[in-house]
Amino acid sequence: MARAVDELTALLGDDRVRDHPLDQHLFAKDAGLRRGGAPIVVFPESSDEVAAVVKIAGAHGMPIVARGAGTGLAGGAVPQEGSLLVVLTRMNRIFEIDEVGRTAWVGPGVVNLDLSEATADRGLHFAPDPSSQSACTIGGNVATNAGGPHCLAEGSTVAHILGVELVTADGSTVILGGEAPDTPGYDLRGVIVGSEGTLGIVTKVLVRLTENHLDAATLLMAFDTIEDAARTVSEVIAAGVVPAALEMMDKPMCVAVENFVQAGYPTDAAAVLLADVLGHPAGTAASIELLSDIAVRNGATSVRVATDESERALLWKGRKSAFGAIAQAAPDYYLNDTVVPRTRIAEVISKTYEIAERYDITLMNVFHAGDGNLHPLVSFDAAEPGMTERVVAAAREMVTVAVAAGGTLSGEHGIGFEKRDLMSSVFSPEDLDAQARLREAFDQDGVLNPGKVLPEGSRCFDWGPA
Amino acid sequence: MTTLAVATKQLLERLHDPTVDVDAEFVVAPTSMEEAAEILAAAADVGQAVAFYGAGTHRQIGNPVDADLVITTTAMNRIIDYQPDDLTVVVEPGVTLGELEAALTDRKLTAVLPETEPNATVGGVVAAGRSGYRRLRYGPTRDRVLQATVATGYGKVVTGGSPVVKASTGYGMTRLFTGSFGTLGLIGPVLLKLWSQPRATATIVVDDPEVARNAAYRPFAVLGTRGTGRIYLGGTKEEVEAQAEAIGGRSSDGLDWPQPHDPPLRLSFRIPARFVDEAVLAARDLDATGWVAQYGVGIVEAGYDRITSDGFAAARSWAESVGGTLVIEASPDDLRRELGAWGSPPESVELQREVKDRFDPAGICNPGILPGGI
Repeated sequence: MARAVDELTALLGDDRVRDHPLDQHLFAKDAGLRRGGAPIVVFPESSDEVAAVVKIAGAHGMPIVARGAGTGLAGGAVPQEGSLLVVLTRMNRIFEIDEVGRTAWVGPGVVNLDLSEATADRGLHFAPDPSSQSACTIGGNVATNAGGPHCLAEGSTVAHILGVELVTADGSTVILGGEAPDTPGYDLRGVIVGSEGTLGIVTKVLVRLTENHLDAATLLMAFDTIEDAARTVSEVIAAGVVPAALEMMDKPMCVAVENFVQAGYPTDAAAVLLADVLGHPAGTAASIELLSDIAVRNGATSVRVATDESERALLWKGRKSAFGAIAQAAPDYYLNDTVVPRTRIAEVISKTYEIAERYDITLMNVFHAGDGNLHPLVSFDAAEPGMTERVVAAAREMVTVAVAAGGTLSGEHGIGFEKRDLMSSVFSPEDLDAQARLREAFDQDGVLNPGKVLPEGSRCFDWGPA
Repeated sequence: MTTLAVATKQLLERLHDPTVDVDAEFVVAPTSMEEAAEILAAAADVGQAVAFYGAGTHRQIGNPVDADLVITTTAMNRIIDYQPDDLTVVVEPGVTLGELEAALTDRKLTAVLPETEPNATVGGVVAAGRSGYRRLRYGPTRDRVLQATVATGYGKVVTGGSPVVKASTGYGMTRLFTGSFGTLGLIGPVLLKLWSQPRATATIVVDDPEVARNAAYRPFAVLGTRGTGRIYLGGTKEEVEAQAEAIGGRSSDGLDWPQPHDPPLRLSFRIPARFVDEAVLAARDLDATGWVAQYGVGIVEAGYDRITSDGFAAARSWAESVGGTLVIEASPDDLRRELGAWGSPPESVELQREVKDRFDPAGICNPGILPGGI
């Protein structure tokens, strides 16, 4: 290990190689619950430096874990003891923007919101908008196929990545995808998105930029029951109307948010829906009317329409402050992430409440209802003996309920370590083996983020019949 | 004969497909993915090359393949699970685009697949990674394949992706399979994300497509053909009318797509979107009989009666110099053998080979059809 540190230091200098216990402690965790082992932390500033550190790690048999801002919740960037943690936040340049093709080449360390702000004067933005968008990086978005409220109409990160520069497990550099559409051969660009640092380290990203809307309105709809709100969501989707965003928050969440930012959310409603209607000025009025009609028909007790920018911003501030707001309830939180068909939301949410009651835990809900992407959030105090175990057990049951309803493990956080051992609940041994084959094609020796995404023993089939 | 060989022979006889006229020793139509996997396992065992056939619409794309065995999807042609309230559908590979769209009209939905290929099959379109003109607004086909089942070259049935509209659960296997041209196995049932048809649509004839594109708000498509540009709009009636007025030009209701003609040769320039006008000039320089240029996307598809090797080489060299490719999408097999269907292989070709080797270790699935002989 000391030899590796010497070589890394010779390459990057003292300041960009850290093995002090304090650094190791800070970087042994992402925004989830799990703490990993002590890594050697490096801060490369170029693709060449990433390639060089990968080669050094390879020569010393060190596992390699890439990390952006560390806002991930599934443990994808949590290192194990003795690994090389490659922190990419210093690779934060926007290299070039093509207004005609509406694309930009950016470093993986560019912060999500910074990119949209940098392209705003050209009438463009980067569509994926995770709740952590003021901190999370594009590289991390690529790793987890990140989402966000506005992925309902625009699609998750994978739809917005046209190419990547990748440093592979052996330290070579390759471009996948590009500005031209439909690159001949396999779509390895698409495979990299969501691969959680297990197939290579992304050192540059070609993003697709999206045209800004011309007109906007935000609707806040209140309901007496969760079922009414969920039925409204199902009916909106079934009507073929896809608002730009369609979010749900339940009563405990609304109360917490109101205490925190006073966004004007009702605190007596069982649930609220927050919908964004974005588009052409001639079209928004009709969409607002349609959404309001469906909500009222399904028992909405109030519908507030904000067309004024400052009022819209305040309503969205409420939604985006949710994770800050819950700190007042308890010091820790566990945010789960599952997806169910949009026709099954009410039933799954109701079972989720039952589970919370049975485990005697505090449950709040704030989620991307339009996609069926649920986020049951448990607020708790980890210092209370046995509490963390109880929360994790309850969360597992909530995942089981979502899967049983025809859903899946994660909509936007990824699998990481958190859900690795649940993969066999949605994939057969043959399916997991196929995924392991893909991984092996990129990383024969298993040095890239080992132990994440796929459960042990996934690669289990010989190629031919016996 | 070994037991396996006997069993295989019986299987091949039982599944023989007399409806498809292709040049191969065996033509079979499995009725399930398990049967397809069994056939592939047997073919792998004896090292016989396998090709796949839907409607034959895209069979001139890629390097020519000499196959001993052709697996057709004609016996897997059902719409398995249509969930209009969740905007998804599961379709077997032999269903044609026309049949699928017809099934979706009751709720005015669309799978946003190629608009002018009603006879192509879903399996063929996914295997070839083909997208329609509306990709400018809705993204390419690969963005809507949410889950896919494949009978692999090593004879197993595997499913990748997730059965919901949004997922970050495991590797993007649907991305790998879409556009893989059957080199990893037979693409079977896919779960597709659907969109609602807008209440109003219009086609506007414009002088300068690029200028019109900038004046429009998220059009479906902006196309240039010989002598005309067209911009395609969708939305509410008010929205479409307001935009048509702002853009100017002659407007008509509905989407009037350019009708395909079947030239003996078809080339596809795939270049960064800012080079579309230059690609049109390059296509014309080769004496194109017609073309469709997709502004904002970066594709120019052009038809020819004949081309010269020198002219073609110059055009391909230009396309590659701007970071694109010039792909032969229809031609006699000999011409693709001579000129190469794809051009220079992508720089990731070695990684691609590693992938191919793990899904088709015996190298039997459409061998050599992709760039780099994959």
